[in-house]
Amino acid sequence: MASESSGRTFQEYLEHHLQNLVYGPLPAGHERKFYAKGSDETTKEAYCQGKNLDYDGEKYCKETLTEDGWYLANNKTDVEAMGFWGLHIDTMFFSVLLGGLFLFIFARAAKSFSLDKPTKLQLFIEMMIDFINGVVKGTFKAAQNSLIAPMALTIFFWVLLMNVMDLVPVDLIPYPAELLGIPYLKVVPTTDLNLTAALALSVFILYLFYSIKSKGFVGFIKSISLHPFGPWMLPANLFIEIIDLIAKPLSLALRLYGNLYAGEMIFLLIAGMVSINLAELTFTGIGLNLAGITLSLIWAIFHILIVVLQAFIFMMLTVVYMNMAHEKFEQH
Amino acid sequence: MNLNATLLGQMIAFGLFVWFCWKFVWPPLLAAMDERAEKIEQGLKDSEESAKKILDAEEESKKMLAEAKKEAKKIMDNAKNQSEKIVEESKNKATEEKDRIVGSAQSEIEKEVVNAKKTLEKDFASSVMSAVKKIVAKEVSMSNYQDTVDKSLDDFRK
Repeated sequence: MASESSGRTFQEYLEHHLQNLVYGPLPAGHERKFYAKGSDETTKEAYCQGKNLDYDGEKYCKETLTEDGWYLANNKTDVEAMGFWGLHIDTMFFSVLLGGLFLFIFARAAKSFSLDKPTKLQLFIEMMIDFINGVVKGTFKAAQNSLIAPMALTIFFWVLLMNVMDLVPVDLIPYPAELLGIPYLKVVPTTDLNLTAALALSVFILYLFYSIKSKGFVGFIKSISLHPFGPWMLPANLFIEIIDLIAKPLSLALRLYGNLYAGEMIFLLIAGMVSINLAELTFTGIGLNLAGITLSLIWAIFHILIVVLQAFIFMMLTVVYMNMAHEKFEQH
Repeated sequence: MNLNATLLGQMIAFGLFVWFCWKFVWPPLLAAMDERAEKIEQGLKDSEESAKKILDAEEESKKMLAEAKKEAKKIMDNAKNQSEKIVEESKNKATEEKDRIVGSAQSEIEKEVVNAKKTLEKDFASSVMSAVKKIVAKEVSMSNYQDTVDKSLDDFRK
């Protein structure tokens, strides 16, 4: 199995791949553990001593921190000790990289836009702008707001690019990174709930902002309290409308996260069938390898659909929510 | 899976990206595309207009040609008329001139005839007189036969 090349069980391989690279504060007295490399007790102990650490007699080298500080988390206990202020470096890095790539390409195209001699890239970008513009014009009709279309474009392309990272073979980036000393690496930012929740929350804040702006504060309160049953059922209205309100960012965040996380998980499970361990290349081993490669291909092709679809859905719902936010309150 | 500071970081990143796209990516692209659309529309309109202009010009030229033909015909007709008139006039003039010349010649002739008659008359009378004088001088005295001479002269005159 793929996991064995890094000396882990399949269970550990999965957990390793589903853990973000976290950078955060650790308190003094916290005990850090590092995976001890080696085939037997003595080499493991030597490995730990080479790093000036204690060996726990089983799998890990140990270190007890003497003062507070910011560290890269090495395992689950580190992550838990970091709490809220742990930062997912990998998510931040890849998302900003991809968002920057998107903006760089589009901004450059905008700068070198040629009316008479368009490049193929420019034509593609024009097509995309037209597409987004069409969607926004068809959906967002409640008011005029120049922010909506560029936001839809940003969401669509950013999420799309981040989702596309899911099609990169699961070990292609994390494995070399681990050899370089990076303990964890998740390359698909959209499989991190933090990212999808951040997008959804930002959209939700804009939703509240524009709701209150277009309906007025009183109008907004009215829209969640006098609806859908009329004033005599105010508590029920409030209950329903608040759930409806909260469901918006929640569904937005969880849909994207769930789809991509599940997709990534399936890639990992399929990857578990594939091995480069020569000792395992028996008849069944080869069969399993072939099956794994085939399944991986099929899932990747199917996943292309999910990748685009989820990006589109996120963008579309954002535009729909923005349209709802801009609607004036009407007593039904 | 736990929510942590990444959430805040991502919200900031998202905000910046949207802001950047809003300010520096979307407007120039859309403006450029609108400009292109306008240009195409203008081009189509222009070509349509010029096609129409060509048609108009063709029609105009046809009209002008027809008019020119008409004018030429008119001029030619006029010229024909004019020449006919001139020929007619000169014919008339010539006839008149001929009549006039012939008339004057005739009257001249008549006058000549009268003159000749007169001269002849005079010559004849004097020659007759001299002849008579010679006869009378020979035969009788002049005074006895004066009446008879006068009488015969009157008869001659008649």
